[in-house]
Amino acid sequence: MTDAKTIEKRLKEEAIRLLGSGAVSAVLAWTAGYDEKHPMPFAARSLDEVDDLVFNEYCTANMARYIGDWPAGTKLAVAVKGVDSRAVVVLIQEEKACREDLVLLGIPFRGLRNHKTGDIIDERTTAATANPVLFDILLGDEITEEPGSPYDVLAELEAMGNDDRWSFWKKELDKCIRCYACRKACPMCYCDPCFVDLTRPRWADKSPNSAGNLMYHLTRFYHLAGRCVDCGECSRACPVDIPLYLFHKKVAKECEEMFNQTAGMNIDDKPVMVDFRVEDSDSLLE
Amino acid sequence: MEFEPRIQGIACNWCTYTGADLAGTTKLKYPPNLRLLRVMCSSRINPSFIIRAFQLGADGVLVGGCHPGDCHYGTGNFYARRRLAITKKILDFAGMEPERFRVEWISASEGNRFAEVVTEFTGTVKELGPQNTFRIDREGAGCTP
Repeated sequence: MTDAKTIEKRLKEEAIRLLGSGAVSAVLAWTAGYDEKHPMPFAARSLDEVDDLVFNEYCTANMARYIGDWPAGTKLAVAVKGVDSRAVVVLIQEEKACREDLVLLGIPFRGLRNHKTGDIIDERTTAATANPVLFDILLGDEITEEPGSPYDVLAELEAMGNDDRWSFWKKELDKCIRCYACRKACPMCYCDPCFVDLTRPRWADKSPNSAGNLMYHLTRFYHLAGRCVDCGECSRACPVDIPLYLFHKKVAKECEEMFNQTAGMNIDDKPVMVDFRVEDSDSLLE
Repeated sequence: MEFEPRIQGIACNWCTYTGADLAGTTKLKYPPNLRLLRVMCSSRINPSFIIRAFQLGADGVLVGGCHPGDCHYGTGNFYARRRLAITKKILDFAGMEPERFRVEWISASEGNRFAEVVTEFTGTVKELGPQNTFRIDREGAGCTP
């Protein structure tokens, strides 16, 4: 595996080349935060900003999230890790991004760390996609070692009875303070307005109470069904550490099993919830 | 007193609701626990409706639509099938008994089937007892029905 320093160097080289030739208006990547553990999302728009680009093992932020902030038609270079590239694929499938406008700088990397705990982020908390599935330029060598299954971590919850599982989720969701950091960190949460901000109808209470939290989170899990690429950013953004990734993993797993399609793996797929097969079985509903 | 479940039915206008009509006009008997909500198509059903129904005290939710292939709008229930399937998985994983949520395809000519399904489902939910998982304590503050 190519180490982070080399990737950073190559990222800068490519940024100089792309910005210098005018091929792109900005390079979306990361810059140094107040310490090494907190790199920030960053758009380098000119050659003198290229030096501020950073890549280290704490660069977990999914840059696909920021593509939609730019006016349509802006040429962008985006640094994408394995899962991030899947998010870009979903955005392209949903026509929220245009393939022609993007130069994807793929970063094959394993061993990112959670900035809160310092733990390595592996297939237990995020998808097991280390190599970008869609890229124009690869900034490191492809990773050959096989990852474990991203769904093994669910076994414990799946084995629980419904009552125990409800106690688990009730305890977790009751912690929610409705800061919407999960929504803000999510590359797929681009709805404006979000259903939870609507007042007519008012789907969920806006104050952080059990009922409103349940409605918000369950609906969000549903809205991300078949689209969530399991990057795990929602859980890392969460200030009260709700393990949202577990629920997203479960929904992704069910989608995979029921519809034989993994989110963001193929640019020609349609997201499963806006698609159907006549031969889908009614047994899905049992 | 014996527990009488409250069941929220959501039926598509063209098939299941008309089927319910037929059950009525042919004077078939089925339990009065069902409150039927009519929507134009089963794909009109937002999964949040179902969560909301449980929050507001439904003990079971029954969704009815046209048989796949017979949708009045062509393809509505194909989409609904996928949506409701994933909704069921979400409810289950959140800790709701999946038996409390049921989807049935009932055509306009199947008045008998409608009465059968409602009777059967009411029985199932009665056995499960009151649903207190998602139900909001309405005495508590901060809840708007």
